[in-house]
Amino acid sequence: MFVKKLTFAAVAFCFAFTGIAARAQEAGALLDLLVRKGIVSDQEAEEVRVELSKEAASTAAGKWKLSTPINEIELYGDARMRYEYRGGRTASNDPTNPNDWYERHRERYRVRIGLRGTLLDDWFFGLRLETSTSPRSTNVTFGDDSGVNGPFSKDSDRISVGQAYLGYKGFPDITLTAGRMPNPLVTTPLLWDDDINPEGLAQQWKHTFNVSFGGGGGAAESYSKEGYSKDGKGVVTTQAAAEPFKLKIDVFANFAQFVYDDTNPENPIGPARTTDTNGFTQRVPTTDAFLLAWQVGARFTFPNNIYFQLAPTLYNYTGTGDSFNTFFQGDSNSTNQTGINSLLVLDMPVEFGWKLWELPMRIFGDFAVNLEADDRAKAAGHPGSGGQRYAYEIGLGIGQLKAKSDWEIRGWWQHTEQYALDPNLVDSDIFDSRVNMQGVGVKAGYALADAIIFNLTWAYGWRSNGNFGTGGVGDIPINPLDQYQIFQADLNVKF
Amino acid sequence: MKIKYLAVSLALLATGLSSANADRLVIKGSDTLGAKLVPQLAEQFKAQHPGTTFDIAAEGSTTGIAAIIDGTAEIGMSSRRAKTSEVGAASAKGKHMKPTIVAFDGIAVIVNSANPIKGLTKKQVEQIFTGDVTDWSAVGGSGGKISIYTRNTSSGTYSDFKELAMKKRDYAGGSQKMAGNEQIAAEVGKNPNGVGYVGMAYTKAGGVKVMPIDGVMPSTSAVHAHSYPYARPTFYYTNGDPSGLAKEFLDFTIGPGGQKIVAQVGFVPIK
Repeated sequence: MFVKKLTFAAVAFCFAFTGIAARAQEAGALLDLLVRKGIVSDQEAEEVRVELSKEAASTAAGKWKLSTPINEIELYGDARMRYEYRGGRTASNDPTNPNDWYERHRERYRVRIGLRGTLLDDWFFGLRLETSTSPRSTNVTFGDDSGVNGPFSKDSDRISVGQAYLGYKGFPDITLTAGRMPNPLVTTPLLWDDDINPEGLAQQWKHTFNVSFGGGGGAAESYSKEGYSKDGKGVVTTQAAAEPFKLKIDVFANFAQFVYDDTNPENPIGPARTTDTNGFTQRVPTTDAFLLAWQVGARFTFPNNIYFQLAPTLYNYTGTGDSFNTFFQGDSNSTNQTGINSLLVLDMPVEFGWKLWELPMRIFGDFAVNLEADDRAKAAGHPGSGGQRYAYEIGLGIGQLKAKSDWEIRGWWQHTEQYALDPNLVDSDIFDSRVNMQGVGVKAGYALADAIIFNLTWAYGWRSNGNFGTGGVGDIPINPLDQYQIFQADLNVKF
Repeated sequence: MKIKYLAVSLALLATGLSSANADRLVIKGSDTLGAKLVPQLAEQFKAQHPGTTFDIAAEGSTTGIAAIIDGTAEIGMSSRRAKTSEVGAASAKGKHMKPTIVAFDGIAVIVNSANPIKGLTKKQVEQIFTGDVTDWSAVGGSGGKISIYTRNTSSGTYSDFKELAMKKRDYAGGSQKMAGNEQIAAEVGKNPNGVGYVGMAYTKAGGVKVMPIDGVMPSTSAVHAHSYPYARPTFYYTNGDPSGLAKEFLDFTIGPGGQKIVAQVGFVPIK
């Protein structure tokens, strides 16, 4: 009896100080070992197992039942409270209200909650629910309801599926994902709002080389099996086994085929659909719109926490879907702001980081050019303006937000031209989902606790080229948007 | 006065029912235990305890454990351990799931005696039963589509084999679920491409042969030495410490007389 109690105490110790998934395995293995050593009998071990099962069943975790194919599952999410000021000014030559500011003050919140995990046989999955129906925002504005149900209505407080994806990582170095997923590409807000979770297919490959200079004669070691991050966003590099090494090179390639817009139906009953939008009758294309991306890149990590990453990417579009079959013009609100015609964008996000007095610092930048800007400008009614094809940003970041009392500050300059980018993807805050804008942004953050971050963001921008509108659909109903300013104060809780 | 008579009558009736049930033992659960071993133990026990009757239902370990939770049997036979959820369910109903090991067993992988294959590795067993390989040629056989026979989902052997041999992966989609060990042995004996698993007590069926796993055959010595990979204990589950007839039968099972029968039937005695 004493042995049984001692065994129970020892195994219970394992239970108390290990994760719930590991507990049963470790306790079972420990009991098996004790039986083999003859310290406890089989019968005593079984009685301890029942007691442990009883203990486990009485805990909250023990009542949560997971199906057998699930290897690991993680509940995660965040919540944010925000105050935001956003204002835009009309142009000085506006015929009715020149130099007039349109301004909004909003108190907003967002909630994102998800489950992600790994399954048997190298499969993984993710599901995340988010507030808001917007693809580029998860914010809900307090009091922004119809009013039909009175104050504090729930009209705008909606939960949508933000992510729903399934993937496979059974091939060395390769991760395959399908569904509505975290963006698998290395990007910046210059091209992609980070709230967007694209839908479609993605293929990721990553391989790590560790190169040792000196002593070893420049030997290179290759690591083929990488871990997969459960958020599906990136491939996590395992720590190299070889020591010492001077240079680590992560080479990666990401490919994506996103379904941009579905056509319904592709083949309607009766004659094919036509449109007179351009002044003459023409058939409406009936193909789904796809956004295709090809990205190759590398991250070089040198000694002393110095790194450099480059991820050149090519984007192009096929088809038009139901909603993008009109050419982009972008000059005023009465013209098309969302067309995806003639976009073949070469993008070059780059980042260089180092530590100074143990303080992380980084220079980040992005340069993009639309190789079909001539056609896009011509279709917009501005032949000869294909030079408006460039977009870029460059900034400096100091600090990091990983634990309580950490801080970070970033500042950057951003410039986009009218025919450079897809206005449906660019960041919705800086500068209000628009192209043909330029200006500065600053973001500062402080970690009040490990999981609680306070952020302040400010940006100021103006029209990049006065000959064109500011294409895109944002929260400020002005086009051209002559000047723009935004201020946000955020309190974030992550779990 | 009438109420007093009624109370006395009810008391007498209850006493009568109680004494009528006193010599009847309800046992439910595992087919592995209940098809052969427990009936033989019951016969021997009855010979020593005239007037005792048994009600034995062998429909799978899950039913035996459920019977203890529901209080519909005194003994629940099980060839697997009670799951955490079952122990929790019992606690919620005020029951204490008490296991007693009554014998050990080795789950034997059997193939048709005409199959030329000489043995399997643990990896090959996993591949066969999960459907990773579907032809005997992939595991050293002479070719032919593998036919898999398994127990049904209420069987303890079904879940034990999944855990011990298949890393908890799912059975192959085309596997055929049988009600008991004897049915599996019979089907494998008839099918040259058949493969299945049975308790050690069922390996003597005609037309089948037992596969060594990584060179180890299921045997008493291998099970005791923990060298056979698919060895496991088998249990009687009771609600707390048994009493009365259930205790007598349990004591008989794990005593010298019972363990002799355990060995005769083909199980591995606990000592």
